[in-house]
Amino acid sequence: MKNNSSFLTKNRGILIFFAVMLLAPFLIGLFEGSTPLMIWGNQGSLSKFIEGLGIEIFILALFALSFDLLFGITGLLSFGHAMFFAVAAYLTGIALKTLAMPFWGVVLLVLLAAIVQALLFSLVLPRVKGITFTLVSLGLASVFHIIVMSSDMINLTGADVGLQGVPVPAFISPVTERLRFYVIALTLLVVTYLFYRRFVASPTGRVCVAIRENEDRAKMLGYNTTIFKVVVMIISSLTAATAGMLHALYQPSISPSIADLGFTVTGLLIVLIGGVGTLSGAIVGAFAFRLLDFTLRRFMGESASFITGAIYVIFVLFVPYGIVGTMRMRQLRTKPGWQRLLGMVKPKN
Amino acid sequence: MKTNLRKNSKAIIILVIIAAFLFVAARGMSGRDVLITVLRGFSTGSVTFLVAAGFSLIFGLLDVLNLAQGTLYMIGAYVGWTVYVRPDTFIDVLTPVLLILAGFSLSALWGRLASRIQLAPKARKIISWLLILAGFGLLALVLTRYPIAIWNLNNYSESPITYSYMADQGLRIIPAEVTFEKISPFLALAGLLVSSAISAFGIALLNRDESRSQTINWRKFLVPALLLLGGILAVVFNAQITSWMYAMSTNWLFVIAILIAILSGVGLGALMETTLIRPLYNRPIYQLMLTLGLGTIGLQIVQAVWGRPEFVWPKPEFFTGTGGACPATNLADLLEYNCSTVFLLGGRVRVYDEIFIPIVGIIVLIVVWILLKRSRIGMIIRAGVQDRQMVEALGINVRRVFTLVFALGVGLATFGGALAAPSTGLTPVMGERLLLSALIALAIGGLTSFPGAALGSLLVGLIQQFMIKYGQIGIPLPFTDAVFKPSPPLVPASTVLLMVIVLLILPGGLLGSKE
Amino acid sequence: MSNILEVKNIHSFINQFHILQDVDFVVPKGSITALLGRNGAGKTTTLKSILGLASVREGKVIFEGREVQGMPPFEIAALGIGFVPEHRAIFRDLSVEENLKIAERNKGDLDRKRTFIFDLFPDLKKFLNLRGTELSGGQQQMLAIARALVADNSLLLIDEPSEGLAPVIIEHMIDAIRQLSEQSTVVLVEQNFLVASKLAKYFVIIEEGKSVASGLMKDLEADKAMIHRYLGAA
Repeated sequence: MKNNSSFLTKNRGILIFFAVMLLAPFLIGLFEGSTPLMIWGNQGSLSKFIEGLGIEIFILALFALSFDLLFGITGLLSFGHAMFFAVAAYLTGIALKTLAMPFWGVVLLVLLAAIVQALLFSLVLPRVKGITFTLVSLGLASVFHIIVMSSDMINLTGADVGLQGVPVPAFISPVTERLRFYVIALTLLVVTYLFYRRFVASPTGRVCVAIRENEDRAKMLGYNTTIFKVVVMIISSLTAATAGMLHALYQPSISPSIADLGFTVTGLLIVLIGGVGTLSGAIVGAFAFRLLDFTLRRFMGESASFITGAIYVIFVLFVPYGIVGTMRMRQLRTKPGWQRLLGMVKPKN
Repeated sequence: MKTNLRKNSKAIIILVIIAAFLFVAARGMSGRDVLITVLRGFSTGSVTFLVAAGFSLIFGLLDVLNLAQGTLYMIGAYVGWTVYVRPDTFIDVLTPVLLILAGFSLSALWGRLASRIQLAPKARKIISWLLILAGFGLLALVLTRYPIAIWNLNNYSESPITYSYMADQGLRIIPAEVTFEKISPFLALAGLLVSSAISAFGIALLNRDESRSQTINWRKFLVPALLLLGGILAVVFNAQITSWMYAMSTNWLFVIAILIAILSGVGLGALMETTLIRPLYNRPIYQLMLTLGLGTIGLQIVQAVWGRPEFVWPKPEFFTGTGGACPATNLADLLEYNCSTVFLLGGRVRVYDEIFIPIVGIIVLIVVWILLKRSRIGMIIRAGVQDRQMVEALGINVRRVFTLVFALGVGLATFGGALAAPSTGLTPVMGERLLLSALIALAIGGLTSFPGAALGSLLVGLIQQFMIKYGQIGIPLPFTDAVFKPSPPLVPASTVLLMVIVLLILPGGLLGSKE
Repeated sequence: MSNILEVKNIHSFINQFHILQDVDFVVPKGSITALLGRNGAGKTTTLKSILGLASVREGKVIFEGREVQGMPPFEIAALGIGFVPEHRAIFRDLSVEENLKIAERNKGDLDRKRTFIFDLFPDLKKFLNLRGTELSGGQQQMLAIARALVADNSLLLIDEPSEGLAPVIIEHMIDAIRQLSEQSTVVLVEQNFLVASKLAKYFVIIEEGKSVASGLMKDLEADKAMIHRYLGAA
């Protein structure tokens, strides 16, 4: 039975989200007495603050989305995922600051680097089991982290202090044109999400899910699983690179902590909270994570990371399917109930 | 048969190439530099081996990637330090720990009681959780009032750094005693026991182990009784035991510290496996994420208790002599004067760091190897690594073996931490570094192979130390006068590079067989 | 009691797959009962259900008068059930002697049974120190059966022992199983009807997760129609 519903109805969730988030700065602005016109002109401190928070969430969501595609959909657990993000961020910063390249040249460079990285990580794929891939990715990313932190590179990367003073082109400056940045980040997120949805529903995407479920069987059906994995790796890397670029443009300084295992774990945590393999879970998880982190830090300062760790353990033990995942499972179970209630389906025998 | 031969020959070729590389590289160095670097390689390798072997045993039998090994290594170091530098804190903490363990160790009793209680699943869940929370609440209430002499992270003169310094200088003064002011001793002890009992019962109720036929005989009460007795003795004779420990020779204190570190690891491992890992048996990815989360939480706890700044663990007397015929040139002098360094091939070699640690590593290797190959439990472990189900079908309680192996694996890690700390110092990042080295060692040697862990760790240790040495003296490049000095990041980079190369040729690692 | 094992209307699951949907039969003590059926009918799962290796969610498994469903496998096995699985499950890294020794439930089991086992399988004596991987298929099968004899097992569950073996070896194995059935009751899963009919006194047929017929083997041998219906091309 073909699903003939239109693009709008199929994707109403994300489109509603898009509309709401677009309006959010303006609505918030109303609270502090700024008119829509003022918001448009980048005044209004509260909405600027909320926009900033939103941008951070969108960046995290993009990162988590890329992780979910790799792990949740295809079953490849990479402990070096932060590297995709961090390389893009540092490359953006260095290219703009030290090499003084034109903006679109930088974008191109970063995307190319993302593809190269994906291929590098894919080198071992054909021959190793999942666990070994996880360890190799961890090794590669750790090396990058150490390189970035080393004092030899202090001129390029700023070592453990971080890369500072990246000249952001005026047209998307997060200071003066924050609303524009916000909209661009939001749009990139939504477009990526729609693309991912399409991809997962496509035949290629279905093979990836098959690889996750039982790779040997997929191979027996005649699929060259390595090529599929490489393709997914490239898409994932490009997305993470986009997120990394946005991060570099938004943050006044780029901290090397985005290259360490902790950041990969953050991505994993977000996906876990939202629901592994659900895609929308990445967005939900990013919201939950960042808002929770923000509130906890406000009230508890340093101990916040401990609570985050505890929440992580709690979710792993008790909510393994994440927020979206558990909701979806409930839906499957309650739907027949609702239908019976409404007299639409006759009960069994 | 044929694939085995081909695989073995590939492994041998790789090893020959590595040996050749190291040999050629060594020609640029003086004899004593080579010796020192090799010894240091063995030393780093030994410590890495302890962590890697634990990881490998756990992964081989339980299929669990215990990513908390690094944090556990670190915990071993910090616990050992506490026993050595602040025995009073250790004795103060001992009582609560023993009593809490006593409450939990009555698990057989709780399991039996729990299986007798018939409740609807929902009610069971709610009541279990209420019990667990109540138990933990009561525990927190008692612990916050319990007197424990401890350092002060906010006051430099009372910080771990100062205490380490004092111990190093031989100033073993017992810090001020803390007494039972906020709570009476009896109430405290009772509270500890009761709270852990309630929580343990709640957990037993929640998990509801299917084994209905656990027989309760007097033997099941032996361990809890001993723990209870130990806890009571520790608090009654607190002052005496403490002054005894402060007065004893640091050599014995060191031995005790190491033993306590190992025991803590074994205990923690058993606790982790039974309460957290086991329920997730069917979901390996979640087990992995859980160990990762626990590792992070452990790190936070260590930082909260011991603070972030680095401090040292002063070496015991046996290794700190500097007078008389030191640096020693023969064994007799070494033993008589307890020299901290010896002369070997014209170079100074530190006894603890470069001789003692490798020896201990080799001893552990031999002991565990014998355990695996010659004992019945070792046989069960080797069989279980291959086919868990079949072992269970032979009537063997595999779950108990799981707990044992997990505890052993964690014990090895904490042992490694306590062993390494006098050499490396204590810092919160020590765990992360070791975990990475151990994982690389295992990837090279073979994830589930015990000899692979040893070989991989040795290779990683040697390469790391050689690269560090070259960072200092430089590699003379052929055909030119230029000297290449690898910078610090290249040290781990070179081991990762080796790992990638090995994996491309032999996906299972050099000695790995489990595909 | 005349029935050493009673399987009463069990429903078994392996990882959420509902494999057995009402299997019901008894195993008389002291003789060989064959579990027959087509490929994938659920015979192996039935054996696993008895041992607790498959999850029995409904029904009962009664061994020597005692309900064992829901008990952990190691406890059920320790009651006296030996298992010889499909594909033998020899521990590759262990030597032949170790493979036997690990099956001991009480210290000294192997020493007591040595003569019996080596009478049955004289070849094993030669291979004691070889590793599991170095044995041929037939030798592995002998070892797998021998392993189940080390402990005092009153019931032996043997799954497809003739699979992949040469006819000569199968003959030897049939002799061996006949001999050991004098000591223990045997439940034999066999696709090879000839082997099954030579050995078994009773039969049970499993089809698509349900038990559909049972009785004396000699009656089944005579009933070509039933053989054809449930066992395909006989």
